Amino acid sequence: MKVYVVDNGSQWTHREWRVLRYLKVETKIVPNNTPFDDIKDADGLVLSGGAPGGACDASAMGNNGVYLDRAEVPILGVCAGMQFLCQHFGGELGPGTVPEFGPVELKVSGHEDLFKGLPDSFQVWASHNDEVKRIPEGFEVTASSSTCPHEAVRCLDRPIFGVQFHPEVENTEHGVEIFQNFLAIVESRRSRRDTRPRGRSF
Amino acid sequence: MLGAEEFIEDTIEDLKQKITGKAIIACSGGVDSMVAAVLANKAVGDRLLAVYVDNGLMRKGETEEVRGMFKATGLNYDIVDASEEFYAALAGVEEPERKRKIIGEKFIRVFERKAKEFGAEFLVQGTIAPDWIESGDGVRDTIKSHHNVGGLPKDMGMTLVEPLRDLYKDEVRDIARMLGVVASERQPFPGPALAVRCLGEVTPENVAIVREACYIVEDEIRKAAAAGEMELPWQYFAVLLPSKSVGVQGDRRAYGRTIAIRAVSSIDGMTATYSKIPLQVLDRMSVRITNEMKDSVNRVVYDITNKPPATIEWERSPTVFTTKNSIVMP
Repeated sequence: MKVYVVDNGSQWTHREWRVLRYLKVETKIVPNNTPFDDIKDADGLVLSGGAPGGACDASAMGNNGVYLDRAEVPILGVCAGMQFLCQHFGGELGPGTVPEFGPVELKVSGHEDLFKGLPDSFQVWASHNDEVKRIPEGFEVTASSSTCPHEAVRCLDRPIFGVQFHPEVENTEHGVEIFQNFLAIVESRRSRRDTRPRGRSF
Repeated sequence: MLGAEEFIEDTIEDLKQKITGKAIIACSGGVDSMVAAVLANKAVGDRLLAVYVDNGLMRKGETEEVRGMFKATGLNYDIVDASEEFYAALAGVEEPERKRKIIGEKFIRVFERKAKEFGAEFLVQGTIAPDWIESGDGVRDTIKSHHNVGGLPKDMGMTLVEPLRDLYKDEVRDIARMLGVVASERQPFPGPALAVRCLGEVTPENVAIVREACYIVEDEIRKAAAAGEMELPWQYFAVLLPSKSVGVQGDRRAYGRTIAIRAVSSIDGMTATYSKIPLQVLDRMSVRITNEMKDSVNRVVYDITNKPPATIEWERSPTVFTTKNSIVMP
């Protein structure tokens, strides 16, 4: 199974790579200006966070939009990755009412996919100035906190997920399980794709 | 670490291929550079020389401790006393960016000299992932430039070899334990050493203050951990602030410096929480610092911030060195 990390300039891009590697996935870090054709063999993509203001500055996010439009595989956007995908599909971003740095108490409202088998509430680590103000149509919130209403989202008709916090850092509780849940989705899509007649979109 | 044995085998094989002549390794005696030294030594044997630079900014007793480790490891080594050179270059400099460039450049000059003497074409370094991540690059913000080789000049006549680039500290420690490297449990210590814990000008006097305060912090925390009062933090040290505040000593008004104590828990240095040190341990450090160092320090504070939003060390480390990253699966 191949899951690539799209590097938007986060301090923790390489941590995402490490977590995937430890979960025995074939992975590599790719610059976000990589042509889609060069990464279309991926079974899943992680869109990393970015340098400050990254998601609000479309030029800093390279081909993330192309990947979101063309990739049929599951995509997980982290921090600026989530912000960008929300904006891309019609949501709105803005400065966080309360910027979050360090520990945040996460309240999970959707246990179907990324948070499957996880508690209703646990501590995660965040580091962001901006946040998603309005989620796009066709998306729903799957987790929130007292200081950020949109800590996690999912798309209703495609396997696209976003988390505002950082599941890849050591201090986030259940971070590895969130990645495992994402990989389970990647794996099930991949086996469906393999058994499906070629040439059809899913 | 996942696949540590395989990593060791592959790395030694890779170093054999890469290091075709003689090499020096920039070795501070910390776990990263010691692991890189041992791996390179296994690959090329006596064609490797470990160079330790005593820049006058090291902790109490550190140079002798490192000498002992070199001897025990059986490495070819050279300990270079360059303190005068470093202090002369740092005189009057307060601006961190300039400090950092000066220290980085001094390091490289010493390494160049030693490489020339030894006939080395390769420079091995124990650079690990957070070093280049935090140093920034085309897409990543510079959080702090790590020293490693600070300001590698373009005309440097050595090829850089960095076998640990994709590892984090916890992984390096696993490898160190597997290889029996004695530095495996040493706490992280920045390359430019006490210069980053001395905010303001780096003078022998200021460094002496922060050196003694670091020693007291390390000593008290180690004792408290040995006595079961607390867990040993990931990193623990003192920082000298560049200000004076008023105090009272024996009924006299006395102005003194402020020491900040920093202690954090972490796995990989990329996130950290401040250590919940028991109050009686903080108390012992405070009393000891302000008594034993009464001529210079009259106030001690404890830093209670996590990373993020703070960083672990207060002052940046010097470097300018980064290579454009092109990370692929090993």
